[in-house]
Amino acid sequence: MGFLAPWFLAGALAVGVPVWLHLLRQHKSVPLPFSSLMFFERRTQSSVKHRRLRYLLLLALRALLIVVLALAFSKPFTYMVPGLAGSGQKMVVIALDDSFSMRQGDRMERARSEALQLVGGIGAGNKAQVLAFSSGVRMMSDPTDDVAVLRAAISSIVPGDGRGSYAELTRALRSIAQSSRMPVEAHLFSDLQKSSLPSSFADVRLGDGIRLVTHPAATGEQPNFAVESVNAPRRVYDPKKVRIQATVVGYGAERGDLKVSVHLNNREIGSKTLSVPASGRATFDLTVPSLDAPHGFNRGEVRIESRDGFPGDDRYLFSIERADPRPALFVHETKGARSLLYFRAALEASTSSAFVIDAVRPEQAAGISPSRYAFILLSDVSSVPPAFEEALRKYVRAGGSLWIALGRAAAVRNRVPVFDENIAEAVYASRSQERFQTVAWLDPAHPSIRRANRWDGVKFYQVVRVEPGKARVAARLSDDTPLLLEKQVGEGRVLVFASTLDNISNDFPLHASFVPFIEQTSRYLGRIEESGASHTVGTFLELRTQKESGAAVEVLDPQGRRALSLEEAARAETIELASAGFYDVRRPSGRHELVAVNPDRHESDLAVIPAETLALWQNTGQGSKDANPAAGTGVQAGDERKPSSFWWYVMLSALILAVAESLVGNRHLNVEEPVERMEKGAA
Amino acid sequence: MLQRFLDPATLASISGLDLVARTVVDGFVAGLHRSPDFGFSQEFAEYRAYAQGDDLRHVDWNVFARTDRCYLKRFRGETNTQILILLDTSASMGFGSHSVNKLDYARFVSASICYLANSQRDATGLIVFDDEVRNYISPSTRQGQLFRLLHAIEKTELGSHTDFSKPFIHFQEFLRRRGLVVVLSDFYEDPEKIVRAVEPLRYRGNEVILFHLLDPQEIAPQFREPLLLVDMETQTSLEVSPDYGRNEYRTKIQAHIEDLRSKARGAGLDYFLMDTGRPLDEGLREYLGVRQGRL
Repeated sequence: MGFLAPWFLAGALAVGVPVWLHLLRQHKSVPLPFSSLMFFERRTQSSVKHRRLRYLLLLALRALLIVVLALAFSKPFTYMVPGLAGSGQKMVVIALDDSFSMRQGDRMERARSEALQLVGGIGAGNKAQVLAFSSGVRMMSDPTDDVAVLRAAISSIVPGDGRGSYAELTRALRSIAQSSRMPVEAHLFSDLQKSSLPSSFADVRLGDGIRLVTHPAATGEQPNFAVESVNAPRRVYDPKKVRIQATVVGYGAERGDLKVSVHLNNREIGSKTLSVPASGRATFDLTVPSLDAPHGFNRGEVRIESRDGFPGDDRYLFSIERADPRPALFVHETKGARSLLYFRAALEASTSSAFVIDAVRPEQAAGISPSRYAFILLSDVSSVPPAFEEALRKYVRAGGSLWIALGRAAAVRNRVPVFDENIAEAVYASRSQERFQTVAWLDPAHPSIRRANRWDGVKFYQVVRVEPGKARVAARLSDDTPLLLEKQVGEGRVLVFASTLDNISNDFPLHASFVPFIEQTSRYLGRIEESGASHTVGTFLELRTQKESGAAVEVLDPQGRRALSLEEAARAETIELASAGFYDVRRPSGRHELVAVNPDRHESDLAVIPAETLALWQNTGQGSKDANPAAGTGVQAGDERKPSSFWWYVMLSALILAVAESLVGNRHLNVEEPVERMEKGAA
Repeated sequence: MLQRFLDPATLASISGLDLVARTVVDGFVAGLHRSPDFGFSQEFAEYRAYAQGDDLRHVDWNVFARTDRCYLKRFRGETNTQILILLDTSASMGFGSHSVNKLDYARFVSASICYLANSQRDATGLIVFDDEVRNYISPSTRQGQLFRLLHAIEKTELGSHTDFSKPFIHFQEFLRRRGLVVVLSDFYEDPEKIVRAVEPLRYRGNEVILFHLLDPQEIAPQFREPLLLVDMETQTSLEVSPDYGRNEYRTKIQAHIEDLRSKARGAGLDYFLMDTGRPLDEGLREYLGVRQGRL
C-alpha cells in the first residue's frame, strides 16, 4: 500500500482532539442542586460504567472518523496482484554465490551441501529455482518442484572468478517476485562478503513479498594476503627501460614478510622480500635491467608466498608485448632544426619511447611514402611539394595521422595543407599591447591534454590564427586565438598546433608540460592504445572497430576453448572476460593479442557483512511498506502491478462514520436538555 | 377564557403578588360564577345563645324583646372561621426545573388564597416556617390585612431545612380559634412524622389542607445522564445514574406521595398534590372542585 499524499497522514494526529475533549468531559462533574436526595441512592459503579460505555462509543467513532479522513486525504492506493494474495504458495529461490571468494577453503562445498539439504525440505505445492550469482545472475534451473532437477542444478555450480554482487542478486529476486506473482523466499548461500554489497544500500532493497534467509558459508574472519595490483608496461619498445610495480595488501592480517617474485613466461626475472604492515599495503618495485623476452606477447605473473588459506589471489597476471618502435616522419625547414631537437628530446624522455623519428626537409619528402609512418609532423613548413601533399591527403583519408605546427614560415601560405582551413593572420604579440599570449582555455577531454593540462606560465609570442571552420578547438589563447585544432579527414586525423615546437615563437619546450604533451599527442596520432597490462574479470574487451565489422575475431579463453561461436565471431563487438587467465585474441586486422585477466581484488577482502547490516537488508523484504512509490523498488514493482486507489471506499467509510457519530452525538444532546433546564431552574 | 389556565411562568413575569392573586382568583371565579357554595369559609350569619362573658353589645335586643331570650347576632365577616396559611420556606422549596420554583409557586397559591379569603371576609393569617417559625401574621379581617399578608409572602426567603415538629408546636399556640389551616410544603419528610406533627391541628377542630408542592422533575426526573446531585438542604452530594432516576426514584416518590396521601386522609387531613408545572388556577380549580364535591 502507498500514499500519493502521505503528508496528509499527519492529520491523524488530530485524533488527540476528541480524546482530549472526552477526557475532559469524563472528568467533568458539575454538581447539580436538587431539592432532596431523600429518595436517591448511591449508584456510582453503574453510573461510571454506563458513562464509560457511552463515551467510549462516541470517542471511538470520532477518533475513527478523523483517522479515516486523514487516510482519505492522503489518497491511499494499493497494488493489485491477483495471484499474490491468498494463494498460500511461495517461490523458493536458492541462490548460491559462485564468486571468486567462494574458492577459499571449503566454502563452496558447504554452501552446496546446505543447499541440497534445503531442497529436501521444500513444502508441497511450492516451486523452487536455483540461481548462481557473482557479478551477474545465472538461472541454473527453471521454477520447478522436481527435487532431482534442483539437486542437479545445485551440484553443477562451481566457484568462478567473478566478483560477487548482492545488488544483481536482489534485482533478480525482485524480477522473480514480479514474474511469479507469488511470495518469494530466497535462501542465500554465500560467504556474505562485505565487499559484495553495493555502495548504495537502495540497490539491495528487496521489496514486498521477498523474504531473505541467509546461510553463511564462511566460518569467520580470514586473514588474507593478496597481490592487489600490478603496474607493468603494456608494450616494451626498449628492453632496458622496464619497470614493474606490484602492490601487496593484507586484509585483516598481521604484519608479514612475504617473498614477491616476478615471472615472465614462467621464468623468474626478479624477486624480493616485502614487509607488509598489519592490514596494510606495501609496494614492490622491480626495474629489469634488460628484459629478455621475445617479440610479441609475453605472459607475466607476480607471485607472493603468503601461506594463507586463500592461494587464489596470491598471483597476478599481466601481459607484456615486446615491440619495435614505430617510425614517425618529422618534416622541417632547414631553419627549424631546433624544433626537431626539442621534439626528439621530449619523445625520448618518456618511459616508453614508441617512435623513431625520421627527419627530412620538405624537398626531400616528395618521394617518401607516408603510409609506413605512424604519424607525420610538418613543423613550420612553408611549402609542401604537391605530390607529397597529395600523398598526405591519401594517407590521412586512409586512417593516417598528420600533425602540423604553424610558424612564421607556414604563415606565408593562405591555407593549411590537408587541414584545408584558411590562415587569417600571423599574430606577433610584441607588436600589440601585450608582449605575449597565454593559454586561456584547454579542453581536458582531448587526448593530447588529458594528462598534461597545466600549461600555466607558457608564453606564446607568435601564433598563426587559423579559422577553425569545422575543426575541434582543444586549446585557446587569451586573445581567443585557437592554439590546438583537430579535424577528422576521412578515417584519419589532422592536428594543427598554431605555433612552433621550438622556443622561439613560445617557451613551451622549456616547461614541464611539453614532454607529456608531445608523448600523448604522438601516442594519440600513432594510435597506440593506452590499455593496461591486465584486465579484471567481468570487464568487457572491445573486439573490433566499426570499420572492421563483418570480419571474424577469434578468442581463446584461458582454458584454450573458443569463447565465441561462429556467429559471435563475425558480429560480436565485445566479449566479457569471465575467467581469470590469459585470453588469446586474434583481431580482424590479423593482430594477435594476449589479454591477462585477474579476479577483482575486492574478492580478496574476506570480511563478512556485519549482523546489523544483514538484518537491515533482510528487513527491506517482507513486511517493509514502501510509503513512497516514487522511490526504490516501488516503481519497479508498480510498473507491472496496477496501483489501485481505494480513496472512494475510505471516503464512504468516513461518511458512514460521520452519520453514526451524528446519531450517537445527537442522542447525547437530547439527554442534556432536561439537565440544562434543571440547572437553570435551580439557579 | 384567556385567564383560565395561567402558566406559572407567565405569572412569574407579573411584578406584584396582589396582581398575581387577583389575576388568578378573578380568573377562576369568573369561570365558576353562580356557584353559591363556593368558598373556603362557612359564609352565613348566625344567632347564638348568650353565654356568660359575651359582649352585651352583640345581643340582638329585638329578638330578646320578641322572644325574651338573649341571642347574640353574628354578622358576616365576624364568623369564627379563620384561614391560616403555613408556608414552608425550607431550602428544598427553592428547587425548580423551569422559571418558577416551588417557593414562587407556593407564594402564588398563598397570595391567591389570601385574596380569595379576603374577598369573602374571612380572617386570614400566615405563618412562614422552615425549621423555625420565620414570620407570623395573625388572622384578621382588619383593613389592610390583605396587603400585610401579600407583603409578608413576597418577602419570604429560602431558609434552611424543614423540621415540622418544632414549628408545629408553636402553631398550636397561634391557633386559638377553629378554622382552616392550609399547609404549603414539599413534605420531604417521613409521612408518618408529617402526619403526626400536623394531626394535633385537626384535633382542635381545624380543617387542615396539605398542599404538596412538587416540581415535575421531582415527580418524574427525565435526566438520562449520570449526575452529581447536591441536596439543597443538607448540601450532601450524590452521584446518581439515569436508570435510577427513571425507575427506582419514580417508584419511591410515588410511594411517598401515596403514603402521605393515605396517612393524611386517615388522619382527616385534606391532601392535594400540586405540580408546579401545571397552571396555577387549574390546580386551584381542581382542588376546589374536589373539595366542593366532598362538601
